[in-house]
Amino acid sequence: MINSKKGFIQISFPWLFAIIAGIFIIFLAIYGVTKLISTEQTVQDVKTSKELGILLNPLETGFEEAKTTSLTFPVDTRIYNDCTLDGEFGRQIVKISQKSFNQWTETDINIGFSNKYFFSKDIIEGKEMFVFSKPFRFPFKVTDLLYILSSNEVYCFMNAPEDIEEELKNIKSENLLAGNCSNIQNVTKVCFTGGTNCDVNVDPISQSVEKRQGTVYYEGDALMYAGIFSEPEIYECQVQRIMKRLKILAELYNNKATLIAASDCNTNLEAELLQLINLADNFQNSLDLFKMTSTVQEIDRKNNDNSLCKLW
Amino acid sequence: MIIVYANYGNNMRKIRTKAQMKIQQMAFMLMAVTLFFILVGMFALVWRFSGLKSSAVELEERNAMLLVTKLANSPEFSCGNSFGGTKINCIDADKVINLKVNINDYIGFWGKGVSNIKVETVYPINERIDCTLKNYPDCSVIDLFEKGIQGTATWNFVSICRKATDEMGVYDRCDLGKLYVYTNEEQE
Repeated sequence: MINSKKGFIQISFPWLFAIIAGIFIIFLAIYGVTKLISTEQTVQDVKTSKELGILLNPLETGFEEAKTTSLTFPVDTRIYNDCTLDGEFGRQIVKISQKSFNQWTETDINIGFSNKYFFSKDIIEGKEMFVFSKPFRFPFKVTDLLYILSSNEVYCFMNAPEDIEEELKNIKSENLLAGNCSNIQNVTKVCFTGGTNCDVNVDPISQSVEKRQGTVYYEGDALMYAGIFSEPEIYECQVQRIMKRLKILAELYNNKATLIAASDCNTNLEAELLQLINLADNFQNSLDLFKMTSTVQEIDRKNNDNSLCKLW
Repeated sequence: MIIVYANYGNNMRKIRTKAQMKIQQMAFMLMAVTLFFILVGMFALVWRFSGLKSSAVELEERNAMLLVTKLANSPEFSCGNSFGGTKINCIDADKVINLKVNINDYIGFWGKGVSNIKVETVYPINERIDCTLKNYPDCSVIDLFEKGIQGTATWNFVSICRKATDEMGVYDRCDLGKLYVYTNEEQE
């Protein structure tokens, strides 16, 4: 009876079965391919993160005061900079996201480095990045600090001390300007002795860097740049990591002092080094740097005065 | 209303059996096609992940190569100004022997793939004796992680300096040496 109706399309059961199963297979294939593409993107992001850490190895300084390099990515890239205090040295966490089909890839995989210290905004975006490094000595060399800027970011240092201006000129980067930049648009203005419309205020007397997000404290030029270029949260975390390493290095120098004392090479630094170890162990935030200054200066003076048995 | 009574008998049974056969054939075919695609997919994945492992190894080897050129200048190894002026590619053996004592703090510090770091004096030629705090400095090899040779080695020539004493007093002694960085894929 039904068959006789006009316009009826007769679909036999095998056909119906084939269509349903075919749709299922096609959906399965599409799902598989989508998953594979997303896995491939994650792999690429993780690989880039790892490569980033490895490629920055040559920025380890010898006796130089600063080293620069630039990184060029094939596509627009975001570097997520994070830091944790786990373990003996804490970890520098890097996550990379790249533009694919006009969308940012999403990855939850973080790559960690125990021996790297990146100072930057929490997200750096661009195809080209400018990186420079400076050694941090307190009083011995603790590590090299790496500052990462996107090529789109320009910092202008206004009324900077002469040595800073000189250094910026030597770095020869379009991202770092010195002098009067009040007429230049879209720059982050870094003022040293106050000023109007400043994005960052550096006070060399109180050794502080003030930003909208907060104020951090520094000792030495390396940490001053770190305070200028990074988010206060990242800065505080990285400084704590640096203190963890400083503590272990101070222990190493203390053991070396004991070892060479057996060969009649006296440093007379054991007591001060133990004090430094204790201060580094109780380090809470960048304000505690000032508690360490006198001990650091005393250790430095004693070590420099000792011509025969210098520890570093 | 017309009611037609028809007796299909054996013919109807034949049609049903034929349709069931067709469904079975189709089901088998579809299963075979699905299995085929799954197998191809699995092969593709295996191929892809074997490439992934080799690229991870390649990255670790690159890390070791760049690391070995810079490690001697890192604070844990470098001579600094201890031996008369700034020296590059110079290892302070007095520091490294103490680093060996506290090496557990440094596990994974130079990268997860780095399985061992070794400092060896090559000139003047001495008998190969592993250094400990007890026999130092009468030895020639500081094997930091005490694992011996593990994985691929990358090395660089360095100066190995230490404070030494003789009848004239304290002096700086520097020998020619090699710094080895070993990478092991199984560590990752």
